[in-house]
Amino acid sequence: MLSRLNDTPCSGDPAEGPRAHGATPDLGCADVAVDADAGERRIRERVAAFEELLGDPRDEGNPFGNAALLDADERGELSAEAERALAAFGLNDEFVPSALGGNLDRIDGLARVLRPLFRRDASLGLGYGVTSFLAAIAVWAAGDEAQRRRTADLLRGGGRLAIAYHELAHGNDFVRNEFSARPDGSGGYLLDGRKDVINNAGRAEGLVLFCLTAPPGQRGPRSHSVLLVDTEGLPEDAWRVTDRYRTVGVRGCQVAGFSFERCRVPGDALVGRQGGGVETALRSFQITRSVVPGMVLGGADTALRTVVRFATSRELYRRSVLDIPHAQATVASAFTDLLVCDSICLAATRAVHLLPEQTSVYAAAVKYLVPKLLQDACYNLSIVLGANFYVRDGDYGVFQKHVRDLPMVSLGHAGSAACQATIIPQLPRLARRSWTQGTPAPEALFRTGGGLPALDTDRLVLAAEDDALVASLLAAADRLEGPGEAGAELAPVRALVRALVAELNRVREECLALGPHDRTAMASPHAYALADRYTLLLAGSACVNVWLAQRQDGGAGGDGEGFLANPRWVVAALTRVCRHLGLPLPEEADEHSEWMLAEVLGRYHEGRSFDLYDTHLAGPLVDDERAAARH
Amino acid sequence: MPAVTPLEAEYRDWLVTRLSGYLRRPENDINVCIPFSEYGMDSVAALSLFGDIEDAFGLYLEPTVAWDYPTIEALARFLVRAGKDGEL
Repeated sequence: MLSRLNDTPCSGDPAEGPRAHGATPDLGCADVAVDADAGERRIRERVAAFEELLGDPRDEGNPFGNAALLDADERGELSAEAERALAAFGLNDEFVPSALGGNLDRIDGLARVLRPLFRRDASLGLGYGVTSFLAAIAVWAAGDEAQRRRTADLLRGGGRLAIAYHELAHGNDFVRNEFSARPDGSGGYLLDGRKDVINNAGRAEGLVLFCLTAPPGQRGPRSHSVLLVDTEGLPEDAWRVTDRYRTVGVRGCQVAGFSFERCRVPGDALVGRQGGGVETALRSFQITRSVVPGMVLGGADTALRTVVRFATSRELYRRSVLDIPHAQATVASAFTDLLVCDSICLAATRAVHLLPEQTSVYAAAVKYLVPKLLQDACYNLSIVLGANFYVRDGDYGVFQKHVRDLPMVSLGHAGSAACQATIIPQLPRLARRSWTQGTPAPEALFRTGGGLPALDTDRLVLAAEDDALVASLLAAADRLEGPGEAGAELAPVRALVRALVAELNRVREECLALGPHDRTAMASPHAYALADRYTLLLAGSACVNVWLAQRQDGGAGGDGEGFLANPRWVVAALTRVCRHLGLPLPEEADEHSEWMLAEVLGRYHEGRSFDLYDTHLAGPLVDDERAAARH
Repeated sequence: MPAVTPLEAEYRDWLVTRLSGYLRRPENDINVCIPFSEYGMDSVAALSLFGDIEDAFGLYLEPTVAWDYPTIEALARFLVRAGKDGEL
């Protein structure tokens, strides 16, 4: 099986065996460190170049500007001009492993490069590209060399892949899927059945299909297979694209379905082994669920930015909206939630490289939690926007578009209940084995940059044996209670981490008491609530450890003064996490609303992103623009 | 059909009890020849069975063991072999 996405030898690889991840995979030798720096530099340059291409969002002539994107959304189209520009930029290269000529070698980097596009428009983000990635990952993970080469060539040539795992009638219970591929007697397959609600169904050159390959009556986790099919070679009378679905969000996406009737495909369409479909799907999901939330976060950045624009320019009661304490607190909290989300996105995407034995849980956790927090934050922001929330065009029209798009991109390919159902059966065992003792994650998991071992999809395991992210919360607690961190200025962090550890112990007791019935899809609402609390604890661990790593590294400027090295943001973040958990707040808790608001305004005025990376955004600075408008 | 050894019977009984707990069905309702998935045990939930087996019997197995041996009868027989061979 060919599974290494990047075949270049990397001595930074932390472990040959599957269990050695406790060792810090630090880049032990100079040439690898140089490579790691080069990788990080390449990601930064690519992000900057992409933002530059996307241009000024307020320029009405820009195909990636708000006006054009809103217009395309109203028409239910993806702008052809925008798609051409993305093709010319070679965006699909991001989805192709570097060993096959593309740029894909770091999953955290993939999320970062796509984020600027999601800041503009989730329809383009999904409709041009990410859908192809969701499909291609099965080929990278389980395909043979010819399939990998063919898929790489298709994507690098600007082509598209559609992914058809789910069927409308069966939701995430995809073992019940009825779309079948039966042996045709001469080495190929005959496809029969329907797939519904498939993005790019009508215009993809390649299809990745999840099909029942076992004989009727032998249905189980080994009865399905993944097939890679070229639409061009299909007999025309044996398949058709069904009517388009109109959707609430991502309206530009071309969502339709397929109907096949005794449609013959060659035997080399099979990806991996026959009967390996569920396994390939679950492995692929560990990557896609980890990476998509980090892209989607861009939409919430724009929602927040739009509300800040409104709140700083609109006067009510002879003051600006942003003078109202409730508006200030809402804006500051939304920014804090974005940092909480980005911290868990960072840990989940880097875990795919550093803790592949554990990502089945983390991928589901991040895919469950991040869309939920972002949607809640957007709802709160909508209150500040007031009646402007309902306006579909003009200065603030993008807000309602992002609010509609967010739930669509989060439901697409894994709804929150499906993610919780992946977490719940694993909780009792993790609680018993790993939540009091266990090896913490390597510090590299929490670094906002820096090299990673090559991705090896063969090391992704379907059920986690350990939980390094929880162990890292306990390790952070120990460190903060120790003599090295006794300073009074850290008392709030200490108190908040203590509150999280106490909550972990309660969650642990309740997980140990879960009955066997709670491990099936019929689990009680209580089990779902436990999964929710668990994901928030993971987020808390990510925040405190991102902060500790930044302090170690001296912050962004290397001087220990950077924003992320400052304890105030992590106090604000952990306070938010405690609030989301519904915990009584320790006395020392503080959302640092004024300080966080000042950071929001600074970034807003200087055109920088509302995430861990604080990157430069395209377009004129707000103040210059207003000065120009006055003259 | 070969006779069921006492060890295999022990595994079977344990699995029947487990499955009856998962599914909230009486033990005498569970047929050892019917696949787990036919009882409504989804593929993700079936992945948690390997951990229970490890905890109960000290056998270290692949998470997908209940996929590859999808009935109580098949899994019990496999566990007998796994116990003899050590780690599989």
